[in-house]
Amino acid sequence: MIIVGQGPIDGRLQAQLKKVFPSATSFSGKQGDPPHFNAFQQDPKTGQPSLAGFAFWTTELDPLERGYDGPIKMLIGMDTKGVLTGILVVEHHEPYGSFSVEPPEFAAQFKGKSIRDPFRVGEDVDAVSRASITITSATRSIKNSARRVARQLLTPPASK
Amino acid sequence: MTVSTPRFLARVALAVMLTFALGPVAVRSQQGGTAREEPGATERQEPGSPAREGPSSAAPAVTPQPPAGGGWDFPDEREEVPGWSQLLGAQAVDLGAFTAFAALALVSFFRKSTRLKIVTLAVSIVYMGFLKSQLISVTNIFALLGMNLPVFRYSLAWYLFAGFTVVSTVLWGRLYCGRICAYGALTQLVDTVVPARLRVSPPRWLEERAAYVKYGLLAATVLYFLATSDISIYRYVEPFWMFTGQGSTVMWIGLGILLLVTIFVRNVYCRFLCPVGAFLGLLSNLTVFRIKRWSECNTCKICEKACEWGAIKGPKILVSECVRCDDCERLYLDKQKCPHWLILYRKSDLMARRSAVPAKSIAP
Repeated sequence: MIIVGQGPIDGRLQAQLKKVFPSATSFSGKQGDPPHFNAFQQDPKTGQPSLAGFAFWTTELDPLERGYDGPIKMLIGMDTKGVLTGILVVEHHEPYGSFSVEPPEFAAQFKGKSIRDPFRVGEDVDAVSRASITITSATRSIKNSARRVARQLLTPPASK
Repeated sequence: MTVSTPRFLARVALAVMLTFALGPVAVRSQQGGTAREEPGATERQEPGSPAREGPSSAAPAVTPQPPAGGGWDFPDEREEVPGWSQLLGAQAVDLGAFTAFAALALVSFFRKSTRLKIVTLAVSIVYMGFLKSQLISVTNIFALLGMNLPVFRYSLAWYLFAGFTVVSTVLWGRLYCGRICAYGALTQLVDTVVPARLRVSPPRWLEERAAYVKYGLLAATVLYFLATSDISIYRYVEPFWMFTGQGSTVMWIGLGILLLVTIFVRNVYCRFLCPVGAFLGLLSNLTVFRIKRWSECNTCKICEKACEWGAIKGPKILVSECVRCDDCERLYLDKQKCPHWLILYRKSDLMARRSAVPAKSIAP
């Protein structure tokens, strides 16, 4: 794996990045404002890595968001078109099992979602009645942080 | 209810004001501390490390965002900061349902009605327990200590529930334990169907000492949390997760043992073990409207014997143990059983007879 940019990436982080951005072949270190990792794909023609998207921590992009008990730390992958490539819940303090974002179905449903989607719990995001605080908080922080990255790093596709 | 409403509104208003007053400060402090985080600093703070991201370590360089930046123009951009009518609309069902349930609990409390109380307990198990799993937990105490409470505007129903718990405890005592808590409701309903001969009543000296165990458990749990920042300890000190049906084998075995013991020793968890009960017990020392005692209570033992919570000791009510179950207050109202009324009647009877005697003697 080629590592470009500043900031070292250890093995665990590498695995986490790969999980949220499976199609990427390499990642940069964390950089820039807002803080993000660049994800690269090998261009089949030139053999050169080209930018495929970004990965970022929700806790760094939407730090004021709070779940039932504190922030929910998630790593998000997003391609250059503003489509989410994967989500990993890394750390949360939500109690009660299904009361939380722990069940893998929660993260899985965001894969392939566009940041233009409404991200409304109960509509395009599954609601768990017991976990309303947690699920809505996590959903807001995914939406807000992904849109913040898009606003600053992506030009919207011409055809709206 | 009429007493609680203004106070409760005042509390909600205070909370709203605090949210608005503190919100901008938090943002400013984050923007102020823009010292760029060293690359890799966050990686070091990865999942394994218990260190929670405080405002100082999180979010390097929060820069003001362009309002509709980058030409993205999201269709629902206006909803980024939803108005209060929108927020209330989305949470109306939860707010309404909890208000209705709290009203039911208070009506059953003020009318001292056994039937309404049983209805309240059943609703608590179904709605607060299985449907919402909304119980006060030690994790809420942890969140309070770490200032990690949920975002107010998005969690109105939870704040209504938590606010009701605190306010009702200050006004009347551990009403929450006696009526709102779904686990307490479950064990109390179990208690109404278990035949009396199965029950074991611990001797008074043991009961009094065992009641302190919950304070020890509260202290130990909080100290553990402060030392490790790990909230998962809640699984082993409270059974409230049972309503979600998600637990490890060890947790289910523990719960099985606890429920088995509860059949023989009534409300064993609530009386002796519950850290939340201990917390509310401490708070209940402030209780404004306490249970009335007559002068006859100094010598009478009827209520003390009837109290299933070990909350009456001679003439005194131990507020921190009392969950306002109404058992003693129903006895007070019973003019056939409470010596206060019996003595009053006998006195008035005597007076009547005395005044009747001379009248007879005068008669020819």
